[in-house]
Amino acid sequence: MLCIETKDLRKKYASTVAVDGVDLQIESGQVFGFLGPNGAGKSTVIKLLTTLISPSNGKISVLGIDSAKHPLEIRKKIGVVLQQPSYEPTLSAEKSLEKYGMMWNIDKKTRKKRTEELLSAFGLEEIRKKKMDDLSIGQRRRVQVAREFMHDMDLLFLDEPTVGLDPAARRKLLDFLREQVKNSGLTIFYTTHVLSEAEYLCDNIAIINNGKIMAVDSPSELKNRFGHEKTIKIHISTVSEELKSKLSTIPECQIKLEPEPTVIINSTKSEIVLMNILKILNETDTKINDLSAIPTNLEEIFLKVVGDSN
Amino acid sequence: MIQINPIIRLVNRNLTISINPGFIIWQILFPLIYIFVAGFAYTALIDSVPFGGKNLDYPAFLASGMIGFNIMNSTLISGIIIWNDRRHGMFEQIMSGPFTRTHYILSNIVTIGIIGLFSAALITAVGYPVFFDSVEFNIVTIPLIIFGSVVGAILFGSIASIISVKLRSSEGFNVIINTVFLFCAFASTAFYPVQGAPQPLATIFYLNPLSYLVDIIRAGIFGQVTDFVITEMLVLVALAAILFVIATKLLTKLDF
Repeated sequence: MLCIETKDLRKKYASTVAVDGVDLQIESGQVFGFLGPNGAGKSTVIKLLTTLISPSNGKISVLGIDSAKHPLEIRKKIGVVLQQPSYEPTLSAEKSLEKYGMMWNIDKKTRKKRTEELLSAFGLEEIRKKKMDDLSIGQRRRVQVAREFMHDMDLLFLDEPTVGLDPAARRKLLDFLREQVKNSGLTIFYTTHVLSEAEYLCDNIAIINNGKIMAVDSPSELKNRFGHEKTIKIHISTVSEELKSKLSTIPECQIKLEPEPTVIINSTKSEIVLMNILKILNETDTKINDLSAIPTNLEEIFLKVVGDSN
Repeated sequence: MIQINPIIRLVNRNLTISINPGFIIWQILFPLIYIFVAGFAYTALIDSVPFGGKNLDYPAFLASGMIGFNIMNSTLISGIIIWNDRRHGMFEQIMSGPFTRTHYILSNIVTIGIIGLFSAALITAVGYPVFFDSVEFNIVTIPLIIFGSVVGAILFGSIASIISVKLRSSEGFNVIINTVFLFCAFASTAFYPVQGAPQPLATIFYLNPLSYLVDIIRAGIFGQVTDFVITEMLVLVALAAILFVIATKLLTKLDF
């Protein structure tokens, strides 16, 4: 079942086009990563999908509901953690969760139970009585994300939820989210600038730039599509003139002398190039200290897709 | 699961975040000082104040004025809620949840209505020993006090809301709201009678909605409902309606 569907989605502010013809089809029960550089239109798309703002053009259907006709019905079924912090400064972390549950019409008994579970799951027990105003940015962020799990939902929007979190808290959150998707069939729409996070968590990823979707696929498919150029590094002992001369005939490789002599291969046919270079190294009697193949990661793909689109 | 109305849920939340021991102490202490210190201290200067067909002693006059003053002061909360919600991201968060802007606006109105009534009841209880000699509570006057409290709360709550929507910085918000409320407090009939005031000041008194609110509440307490008070009620309702519409429109247009 399609959880989110947009057709020719556009949002214009005065002379700026923030979202420019976005078509999305997102299946239920997955973590969908939404990546893009600053100002690419990620947060605007989230605000459109969560019905906070109306599109200038195009159609949005969330959980099978037309957002133009029944925005409130959509909001009743989704959870939203926006990019900006949101908190009530006078409430304690515990009271903040409890009151948020009340706002979502969760009965008192369930509220109490969920509050305890979430305080534990998000490592907030020690600061439960502290006022939100007195918490650090990371602690507030944890409460903000935990708070959203006080109510039931079919779809959760997380706009850079790990900003301000330390690595341990970040990993704990990602694992918690994975569990939620696995156990309850929740769909998560997730934006982040930390690409290793997206790689760890997301089933599918869309890359947006200048308000347009540049690519949508699973992380492995994106690697297959955009990561065909591989990098191999050969650390060598010395660089002789003969070696330089022979390697200059192979355009896919370059020599770097600092910090240590290294031959770097960047090629779509890196294995064949490697064979040729190994032959030259053997002929010139050059000793190999180390050889490493750098796996294509999402960051490289992201940079390539965004770079190409710019 | 029992479905509680979204407005009631937001009112519950508003009251939780707004009412704290400090607020309640301030709501009692401040009027107490005015009534029992200023009230009796100024008796030597102001012997009695004519109101309707009665002559009130100054502490009774001041205590009844303090009810209107306290209602105005407590409705500052409406502005503070909106301003805090915007500053701390809760407005956006609430609007992305199971609520509409209408729910949000109405919940603020109900919140300030409750706080206004609570405030009026509190000062009536505190000031009762001072004005009980002249009190004329009856079937007409009690609803009049409630009417004044609610309409006054909506009026001043709307003013506070308009200021909070228009201003982003805390300095700007505090300066403007304190200036407006300070002017309303002292250029009104809450503390001094209009009789004997210089003509320009008397005119300013009646350009100030707090004077209307205070007069209506006094009329309710002392049973002096005159034609002038009825006119004041109409003016207060009209002003409250206009300001409420402006505040609602501004809140509806508030962008994310």
